[in-house]
Amino acid sequence: MSNTLRPYLNAVRQTLTAAMCLENFSSQVAERHNKPEVEVRASKEVLLNPVVISRNDKERVLIETSVNSLRVSIAIKQADEIERILAHKFTRFLTQRAESFVILRRKPIEGYDISFLITNAHTEQMYKHKLVDFIIQFMEEVDKEISEMKLSLNARARIVSESYLSQFN
Amino acid sequence: MAFRKIDIDALEEDAFGEDEIDFQEIGELRPLADVEAQVNSRAQEVRSLLQRGNTSGALSTSLQNPPYGAPFHAAKARNTQTVMEVLNSIKVADVPQLVKSLSPEEQDVLMKYLYAGMAAPEQNNSGHLLAWHEKLTEVAGQGCIVRVITDRRTV
Repeated sequence: MSNTLRPYLNAVRQTLTAAMCLENFSSQVAERHNKPEVEVRASKEVLLNPVVISRNDKERVLIETSVNSLRVSIAIKQADEIERILAHKFTRFLTQRAESFVILRRKPIEGYDISFLITNAHTEQMYKHKLVDFIIQFMEEVDKEISEMKLSLNARARIVSESYLSQFN
Repeated sequence: MAFRKIDIDALEEDAFGEDEIDFQEIGELRPLADVEAQVNSRAQEVRSLLQRGNTSGALSTSLQNPPYGAPFHAAKARNTQTVMEVLNSIKVADVPQLVKSLSPEEQDVLMKYLYAGMAAPEQNNSGHLLAWHEKLTEVAGQGCIVRVITDRRTV
């Protein structure tokens, strides 16, 4: 399985690097406003084509670009009910602390589990390659994290049930 | 924009519309029947090339003159299917040299179809497309991806 992970992450990395060409751009609709165009969608000419990179029908990444902002949405692998619950809890934990992650969006895009919103302010403050690395590392870690949590959850359930049922011996 | 219910800018004469650009940039407005006939005949041509084992010919034929524009939904889907057939019939080991033999325009069109294919993972083999994407990026560079993202002529 991990032999498709490497080209998948590679494709995401290349696409993100290509898409992350952001510049300061004030709103064309409201004077003296400056907002991420990919969110407000007020002027169509500054929105670029969204692209999807998929590893299979469960795991995919949506990259939406505009002149001054970029939105990356990730669908995390969820093979069964436990993984779905764990992924939900995990992303919820992160999004509630979105301020500390700077580029994290408070609410994921529909159909995806977690979204990042990168604006020109972020690319000015931070290194572009580090931003890309962060998202790639997040994608690497999240699968690992969830499968680890699943294992420890199962182990714990086994211990609990054993100690509970042992009193009926 | 919560307080404004009507988008008054859309009523302006030089407002930016979704559909018009496609044809302005190509410089022609082709009738629907022509485009569909062309796509169907190309599908047959590509299939016969594939049967004869001429994969490079099939690849470059399938990337010629793709249908662009909003009214050609059916033709676009058909052409994407044709390109996917070609891509799936080529072994990963042959990909690098085939990609190198394409012209820069063909590489851009191929990249568009790769993203179009990856957008529908239920129908296509994403793993294979990812391998293509990797090889194509090695040859054509990130400029190719930027051109796909910025080009209004979507496939």
